Amino acid sequence: MMLMPPFNLHHPKTVEEACELAATFLANKESFDWVAGGTDLLPNYKWHINVKTHVISLANIPGLDTISMHEIGAMARLGALTTSENVHPLIAFAASKVASSLVRNNATLGGNICLDTRCFWINQSEDWRRSIDWCHKEDCGTGSDCRVIPNQNTLCVATYQGDLAPSLMVLEGTIHIIGPNGPRSLPVDEFFQLDGITRNVLQEGEFVLKVTFPEDVANRTGSYKKLRVRESWDFPEAGVASSWISGDPSSLRVASTALESIPRLHQEEVDALGTSFSKEHIPQLSEAIMKSIKPVNNTALPPRYRKSMVRVLAKRSLREILGD
Amino acid sequence: MAGGYRQQPGASSGAVRKDGKRVAGKQKFPPPGSGGSRPTMAPRDLDSIPESVGGKEPQPAGSHIHDRYRTGTEVGKPRALVDSHAKVTGQAWYGDDVRLPNEIIGKILRSPHHYAKIKSIDTSKVEALPGVLAVATGADAPNTFGVLPVTKDEHAMAVEKVRHVGDLVACVAAVDEATAMEALNLFEIEWEVLDPIFDPRKGLEDQDEPIHWRGKYHVGTTNVQKRVFQEFGDRSLVDDPTASSHGKWRMEGVHHGFTEPHAVVAHWDPNGRLQLYTPQQVPHYAHRALSTVLEVPMHQINVIRTFVGGGFGGKSDPFPHEMCAAILSRKAGRPVRINFSREEVYWINRGRHPSYIEVKMTADEEARISGFDIDALIDGGGFASFGHVTSYYNGVLATAPYELGSFHYTGARVWTNKPASGAMRGHGAVNTRCAVEVGLDEMAEQMQVDPIDLRLANLLPPHSRTISGFRITSNGMREALERVREGSDWDTKFRQMPLGKGIGIGCGFFISGSGLPIHWDPNRFPHATVHIQIDMDGGVTVHTGAADIGQGSTTAVAQVVSEVLALPIEMIHVRSHESDTSPVDLGSYSSRVTFMNANAAIRAALDIREKLLNAAWEMLGYHPDVLVLNDRRIYYKHDPAVGVSYLEALHKAQEDKGSLISSGAYRSPPMGGVHKGAAAGLAPAYSFSAYVAEVDVDVDTGLVSCTNVWAAHDCGKALNPLAVEGQIIGSCHMGLGQVLSEKMVYGRTGHLQNPNLLEYKIPSVHEMPHVTPIIVESSDPEGPFGAKEAGEGPLLPILPAVVNAVYDAIGVRIRELPLTPDVVWKAISAKTKSLGGIDESELPSPRLEHSPLQATLVARGQEHKERDRRRQRSEDTSAYVNGVLFGFDPDRPLEDQVDGWKSAVEPVPEQLAELGLAGKAWLKKEQRQMGGDQ
Repeated sequence: MMLMPPFNLHHPKTVEEACELAATFLANKESFDWVAGGTDLLPNYKWHINVKTHVISLANIPGLDTISMHEIGAMARLGALTTSENVHPLIAFAASKVASSLVRNNATLGGNICLDTRCFWINQSEDWRRSIDWCHKEDCGTGSDCRVIPNQNTLCVATYQGDLAPSLMVLEGTIHIIGPNGPRSLPVDEFFQLDGITRNVLQEGEFVLKVTFPEDVANRTGSYKKLRVRESWDFPEAGVASSWISGDPSSLRVASTALESIPRLHQEEVDALGTSFSKEHIPQLSEAIMKSIKPVNNTALPPRYRKSMVRVLAKRSLREILGD
Repeated sequence: MAGGYRQQPGASSGAVRKDGKRVAGKQKFPPPGSGGSRPTMAPRDLDSIPESVGGKEPQPAGSHIHDRYRTGTEVGKPRALVDSHAKVTGQAWYGDDVRLPNEIIGKILRSPHHYAKIKSIDTSKVEALPGVLAVATGADAPNTFGVLPVTKDEHAMAVEKVRHVGDLVACVAAVDEATAMEALNLFEIEWEVLDPIFDPRKGLEDQDEPIHWRGKYHVGTTNVQKRVFQEFGDRSLVDDPTASSHGKWRMEGVHHGFTEPHAVVAHWDPNGRLQLYTPQQVPHYAHRALSTVLEVPMHQINVIRTFVGGGFGGKSDPFPHEMCAAILSRKAGRPVRINFSREEVYWINRGRHPSYIEVKMTADEEARISGFDIDALIDGGGFASFGHVTSYYNGVLATAPYELGSFHYTGARVWTNKPASGAMRGHGAVNTRCAVEVGLDEMAEQMQVDPIDLRLANLLPPHSRTISGFRITSNGMREALERVREGSDWDTKFRQMPLGKGIGIGCGFFISGSGLPIHWDPNRFPHATVHIQIDMDGGVTVHTGAADIGQGSTTAVAQVVSEVLALPIEMIHVRSHESDTSPVDLGSYSSRVTFMNANAAIRAALDIREKLLNAAWEMLGYHPDVLVLNDRRIYYKHDPAVGVSYLEALHKAQEDKGSLISSGAYRSPPMGGVHKGAAAGLAPAYSFSAYVAEVDVDVDTGLVSCTNVWAAHDCGKALNPLAVEGQIIGSCHMGLGQVLSEKMVYGRTGHLQNPNLLEYKIPSVHEMPHVTPIIVESSDPEGPFGAKEAGEGPLLPILPAVVNAVYDAIGVRIRELPLTPDVVWKAISAKTKSLGGIDESELPSPRLEHSPLQATLVARGQEHKERDRRRQRSEDTSAYVNGVLFGFDPDRPLEDQVDGWKSAVEPVPEQLAELGLAGKAWLKKEQRQMGGDQ
């Protein structure tokens, strides 16, 4: 059933106008979605997953697509990031690993950060979901249980499979949000929030404006390792990014994605290393990171395998930033 | 025109024979004025005329019956497919491109249950919805149909019960898609949900409610749809083997993954005839089934085959949605279009069967293959489809290219509550072929011999018979093996590469056209018929029912007609879309089209040729034996200046009759054994192939990437080398999908978890290795200009080649397909653990020290090479049957020579206890033997 369901599309010309629109819909209790590149939202719409009455597009607001070493706008296309010489090489690399070139030409940084969580029990056609009697994430008013871990009905464990989030985290990115109640900003690693339905801290009516990076970001060496079956199209089945300012163990940051409902910065595991970081620490750190994550069975590869691969990816990523 | 059309010879091109005479056809002639695209007549191309009739084309396998009719025009030249312009300019009309005035949209209501009885369907709310023009349910079409006459178990829509999630329940036609979709929610259905089964092993057990009921032939109360037992040869040979391999395989189901989802438009014209537009591989079967289901005589139905956006076997069944469109259209009085979404494509499925395969192989002290024991349990899903045939193919297509001491096969196909499996490129042969070739690799390792030499010393020669009685004619297996060995630099790589890098070999054997037409006795009707018609303009219209599914069958037919009549291919117009104008053809399956249709087209073209030559004879006074056809001109062999143009000869031939019309047909020769199931796998010719694949395995993650493939395929004669190379490369891609990443995942609840192209992982361009296609031409005595199939066979060897290469790379044998990274990683972990918990990077790579047997095999291979050469060139025309290698006399029945030699199609009671998994189906009795349902 690939017929696009009907919705009203709005094209605000300024950020203020967008916020006003959102405020109006909220006041009228009308549902709406933001759309940037649409490569995530629209396929879900075609599958009739959480379709809203209104869709507000950010595409016509000028100035949201900045690309520089210290600031990337939410509307910056991933395709542009991969070819830009102004962005941190880690961002360019991670962006180049997203889906296919066709998708990257439309997809945006903001959209990738706010990627909906995924699960093979929900990313299906309406007929298919009817056959499993729906699920917790999109229960169509039936109060359905979670299909991945039945009999808990309180938590959605859909997996966050964005590629860029861990790289933004390890580069100490700050995310800037705006909404009817004004702007706010917070570190990228605090942006995400359990569970698979909540996804992040965005309140109703808020959207991501941009991500900024600290002054010394250019000094950081970074690496992103992505696990997937095919070198194109596929979402990550596991992903680990790491970065540091060479020679400064206190600057080491490691983050993972595609393993749980949110991407995670592994500061605790890094801190446990103490004040030094060298080749000898890699196995210990990789092991600790692997132990800290708990994937579930809702993507293409089995969770046990994905968990084991975190160690391999972490090792490879850390080796790379050490120049080993 | 007494004296004919005379021209002075033009300037010589300089080609002069040793004896000083002119070379025929090398003069330049002014335009003969016969139309076509070229301004001047092309010189006769001696490079594409066989040696046997005076040209320069080498014929390592000897001359061929059609050689006298080779004009050097088309055959053997790389040619872009004749429909490629339509495709690359977007003008080809696929199923979804058909738009009829006034058409409305049909949608299908699908079952949300795996297995359930329909107690009632209330359609009143649907009918009341404004915009809904027709509603239909199973009650509107109670007649059953199915692709095989012996297993008609499908309905247009569910009657009584649904058999898998996605099974058709009802359908509705409305003014637009949104209304039709809205209407689907208004059906009120009362279900009685039944216990589904998903595991094919459970299908062997008795059930309260079998998915189908076959009456007196039903096996117990199980879900066994078909069981097969075959045993040939001397079973005592398998005792005391020198080497043996025992492998239990699990292969997941795969889908064709064609680009175009199914689409159909049905329209009852003002005369009350049904016009049905559908992308079908086999329009004739759809035609028959429509007639049965709609209760309308066949002549009142016109099946129009649109362009087919990929079929690979997945569009060869008559489909229920085709019936639905026709029923809705009849009710609504307007054309109805039904388009599938990708989920619906996966639900109708017909992909390769998920299989449990067990293979036991043995070799004797001389490294002869003394036995193949194959047991295949295949998961048929909800319907029979082609399953009857698949059940046989899983065994019998493993009986060549090797000479076997004995062969034992038990197979069973069971119904489960999943989308139906069916025919898919390499039908039935792919999974067992993989298991068998990997078994050979394992035995070669035990005997410490090179697996290629093991194969070379055990091949059946050309013009021989397999253990189950298949007639092998041309056979290019040896050359294929030799050429991939050389091309891949095998001897310096095999078992010599570092950990993580591997190389592997695999062979293939496939039918070139099924010997028996499914619906009739081949002695009564031919397999294929082609009509040719030429009007005064000189253009040649060829009518054939062959369904071009992108493989180039239209091009092949145009090419052979062009070759025989020496006309540019632009003058040949193939009409194959409508059943009204096409002769009946069995369609595009079992790799039959080029072999059978091109043969029929040659016959029809020869008839036309004769008429043209007779006309020229009358005009020129020279007998047709000394006349030459070349590029729109017919001339005297010894003086090319004496001749007539094609158009003049044509008009002469048309004097009394108007149009020239001819008809040609092909029927397969009588062949094969008489045992039950002897017809399965029988073909007028067989293709052979050998691939070497090179892989990189990441031992930390288990990711396998195939980097290089050397792919040799014996297609008899490449009518169009470009198309053959395309088929080889395409087959590699498709096979790689099955061996590395593609699988239909049925999850914890039995639902198909990945019915979309993101999660069903067809390899992308990044996963595609560099493929070196190698065409082997063995010149089949019966093929059109020597050709055999090239569409399905080339898929078979890539699977075992990759699996064997993975073993060479990491020393771990994996018998689970696909080799997704988690499967490989699990196997690596188990191995490292068994070696005392070593690191992955310390895995030992397999190495080979030749044993004395190697020299024996090389010598025997050499001897056999000479034997094959003599038999290929017909120097040696003595009989050869499977068993000669074991010392038997081919001229006496084998049963008379050895006590143990048998050929059985049912197990004897003593055997029952030893049968494998699928063999357990033989523990049950049929209802008629139980005194049950009569």
